[in-house]
Amino acid sequence: MSTQIQASARDIDGPLLELKDVTTHFKTPRGVVRAVDGVSFTLDRGKALGIVGESGSGKTILSRSIMGLLPPRGTIRGGSIKFEGREIGNLDRKAMRSVWGKEMAMIFQDPMTSLNPVMKIGRQIAEPLQIHLGMTKQNALATAERLLQDVRIPEAKRRLEQYPHEMSGGMRQRVMIAIALACGPTALFADEPTTALDVTVQAQILDLLGEQRRDRNMSLVLVTHDLGVVAGHTDEIAVMYGGKLVEKASTKGLFANMKMPYTEALLNSIPKLEDRSHTRLSAIAGRPPDLVNPPKGCRFAPRCPYAAEKCINEEPPLIATAEDPNHLYACWYPVGSEAYHEAKVRIAASKHATDALAAAGGN
Amino acid sequence: MRYALQKFGQFAIVFFIVTFVVMVLMRLGLNAPGDPARTLLGGTADQALIDATTAKYRLDSNYFTQYFFWLKGMVTGDMGFSVPNSQPVSSLISGRVMTTLLLGFYAIVWGLIISVPFAVRQAYKRDSWFDKIGSGASFAFVSAPAIVLAPIVTLVLIKENTIGLPGPLSDYQITFGGWFPRVGDKVYPWQDLGEHFRNFFVPTLVLTLPIAAVFSRLLRGDMVMTLQADFVTLASAKGVSPRRVLWVHALRNSLFSLLTSVGLQIGGIVGGAIVAEQFFDLDGMGTMLVSAILSKDLFTVQSAAAILVASVVFVNLIVDLMYGVLDPRIRHARALA
Amino acid sequence: MTTTIDPSTTTPEPAAPATALPAPRGKQRKLKWPGFGLVSAVVFLGGLTLMAIFADYLSFIPYPDALIPGPDGRPGRYEWGPSWTAWFGTDGVSNDVFSKTIYGARTSLQVGVFATVFGIVVGGVLGVIAGYFRGWVDRVVMIITDCLLALPALLLAIILVNRLSDLAEDTSWLGWLSRKWTIVFTLGILATAPLARIVRAQTLSLREREFVLAARSLGAKPGRVMFREILPNLIPAILTVAFTGLSILIAAEGALAFLGLGVEVGTPTWGKLIDENRNKIDEFWWATIFPCMMLFLTVLSFNIIGDRLGRRFDIRQAGV
Repeated sequence: MSTQIQASARDIDGPLLELKDVTTHFKTPRGVVRAVDGVSFTLDRGKALGIVGESGSGKTILSRSIMGLLPPRGTIRGGSIKFEGREIGNLDRKAMRSVWGKEMAMIFQDPMTSLNPVMKIGRQIAEPLQIHLGMTKQNALATAERLLQDVRIPEAKRRLEQYPHEMSGGMRQRVMIAIALACGPTALFADEPTTALDVTVQAQILDLLGEQRRDRNMSLVLVTHDLGVVAGHTDEIAVMYGGKLVEKASTKGLFANMKMPYTEALLNSIPKLEDRSHTRLSAIAGRPPDLVNPPKGCRFAPRCPYAAEKCINEEPPLIATAEDPNHLYACWYPVGSEAYHEAKVRIAASKHATDALAAAGGN
Repeated sequence: MRYALQKFGQFAIVFFIVTFVVMVLMRLGLNAPGDPARTLLGGTADQALIDATTAKYRLDSNYFTQYFFWLKGMVTGDMGFSVPNSQPVSSLISGRVMTTLLLGFYAIVWGLIISVPFAVRQAYKRDSWFDKIGSGASFAFVSAPAIVLAPIVTLVLIKENTIGLPGPLSDYQITFGGWFPRVGDKVYPWQDLGEHFRNFFVPTLVLTLPIAAVFSRLLRGDMVMTLQADFVTLASAKGVSPRRVLWVHALRNSLFSLLTSVGLQIGGIVGGAIVAEQFFDLDGMGTMLVSAILSKDLFTVQSAAAILVASVVFVNLIVDLMYGVLDPRIRHARALA
Repeated sequence: MTTTIDPSTTTPEPAAPATALPAPRGKQRKLKWPGFGLVSAVVFLGGLTLMAIFADYLSFIPYPDALIPGPDGRPGRYEWGPSWTAWFGTDGVSNDVFSKTIYGARTSLQVGVFATVFGIVVGGVLGVIAGYFRGWVDRVVMIITDCLLALPALLLAIILVNRLSDLAEDTSWLGWLSRKWTIVFTLGILATAPLARIVRAQTLSLREREFVLAARSLGAKPGRVMFREILPNLIPAILTVAFTGLSILIAAEGALAFLGLGVEVGTPTWGKLIDENRNKIDEFWWATIFPCMMLFLTVLSFNIIGDRLGRRFDIRQAGV
């Protein structure tokens, strides 16, 4: 199986990653959870894509679906995932093994729990090198040392002999990046790579990822809840809500002209300088939708301050903006439209009225 | 190293306390002068012999003096004399100790050999039929102590059974059993390996099955937890084969309950060995101890108990040091302590 | 301590933390529905207990020393295999094996329950005190439990039962200490060590919890804190260990009786039945196997209940 994939002709010119109507559903005792529900996009070589959304928006499940890392039991996958032109959406774990670590790699959120606590750092980095590139143990360890230098870990040689518990969180995250980079993957998935780290370390790690991406002409998928994280480090941004793609644009285009009220709300909820470092996106009122019985219309409608009758009953399609064919959004009354402004005025008026009422009551 | 010495000291203290308490317990109620010696010698000994024995083993002194005198004897190889067996305790024990040690050793080793592959596969295929049947079986065997298993195994493996088939197959019969001797002879592996196996198989089985069940339950539980850990997913995402993920990454991180349980179970194994030896008339330390306790053969009880306690303490010391071998974090913490 | 992921108590599935992949299925169902195993265990133990209590009044249970006549009208050795006359057959002295197993259950259950209660009281007190005061008190209690665990339990039991019965015979003021109470006391001591350990471990973690700290900072006396704040929170752990412990103690009682250290002569017990009939197992298997199965099912039932309680309360007992 695995040799087949390697041997099959590669599409060098086309996009690196092409998703069409990807769905990932989980069978649970409560019913089928539609964690990812019809997501399509493409990612070019060497580009960085940010997938942004609250927890529960399906962003992590989507990235794991692309890699095929979900437990096969109880998982229903659908749609098409093309990697370098070949279909990988229907491959089982066994077939994916030659891709994992070699062509696609992943960085996990918590460096404290993602490294094997009883294995030396050197061996953990050397492992994929030995498996995929057939290196001898010695060569693999020498390469591991170079990798540690690449991710800016001082005294790399000594570190090879250390165990994860002897390192700080930031160091461990660098080790994890070294492991991911080991076999020179063409796509790197980073799932909240900085959430568990201190603010000062966060920026370093993100810079390191960007730098390695450019050096290695590697595509990066950065999964995060924090629009601030993706702002400076990605070429494109995909916003997910309730298992669906709700807006996608170039990073510049998105910040210049955001269409979805949800994206706007995400932006407003970016932690300010004075906030604590791990403040979550609690600023958006209400809870993420129940993905067993998602709302009939727009999934954000129940929480959207500008929602109208139509939003609740009809699902908005993903369409391009008038100005930019690559800027997609799914909203009946996008930010900047007439209805949006009307709603805004209405909200301001009612707020004014309540304030006045409260003031009157106070007297 | 400092840690190891500290632990060794701790276990040594436990050893001294326990052996001292055993001595005191055995002498409970023997308060009148000459009582211990009279008990040792049996009812009909004359006064002169009683006095001589009392003097020889300092049986008229306080418990501490007696204890240290006995301990000195243990070290120098003079463990006293067993009147009911009419031989020195040391030669009595040396003829028996190997049987029980072998039984205990086999039980632990086979328990591990059986349980580990089962538990690993059960955890990997969680909630599959294999897992469900395995979990059910191990649960049943956890609840089947030696005293329950021994008669059943006897009926199935030792007795020759002939069962007629029902209906159209009534011309045929199934014959099974009769493979092992009813009474175990003490044949040691260096004498005749085949005979040794035939004689020790059934008692070993009776001890092994419950132990293997306990081990596999603990290991499966830990393994299921470990398999949900991030680093296991990361190992898969590196392209490591499931076999290597299980046996290299997950197993070593899941051995702690199992290891703890080896230390805790060793006492239970000795208990099981006592029952199994009695049931299969395999004369080892267990049968010897029971009859020595019943006949108040003081020195035999003290010395045999001391050997068993020493083995339990020794295994626990090894287990304790193994934690550090398995987990660098524990090694680290101990080096700092 | 373990943390099992229970999807029913968390928010809508993957809406939970981003790392929470689909939680294990099946586990949840077991929690909701008591399950075949638990129901059978409770029914079996309930039936056995009721029969053991009311054995004297139940017409289908003969007295254990009643001679059961064989087909020729005269009682003899092993006259009946399992049959309508004697459900579990008759034994070497022509008694009904079923009746003996029921009366044996009386002994086993009584001894097991009383010993467990003893263990809970003594072990619980030791554990709470050790965990609460720590320091040298803790060290002393830990040494005691270490010592209890270092001596193989069955060996300690044999020595204690043997020595205490002799003592009770020779000492006038110990006349009330019958063989049965000696065994209860002995097994109770055996149960003390594991109970003390688990209670200590739980107390250690509880004493740092907010509500205990609050009570202490308000000036509550140690006794009050231990009994009013800590003890109620220990009940799940104690209950779980008690059921598992009960199964071990009943097996130990069987082993003791098998080794000739059972209750008074004339009172049937499972261990004694197994010992008496094991040499005739080839021809008259029923007299050994039925008591054996009874012991097994009882131990199994207590284990099932203990296991379910452990899952329910999320208590792990590595090899208690």
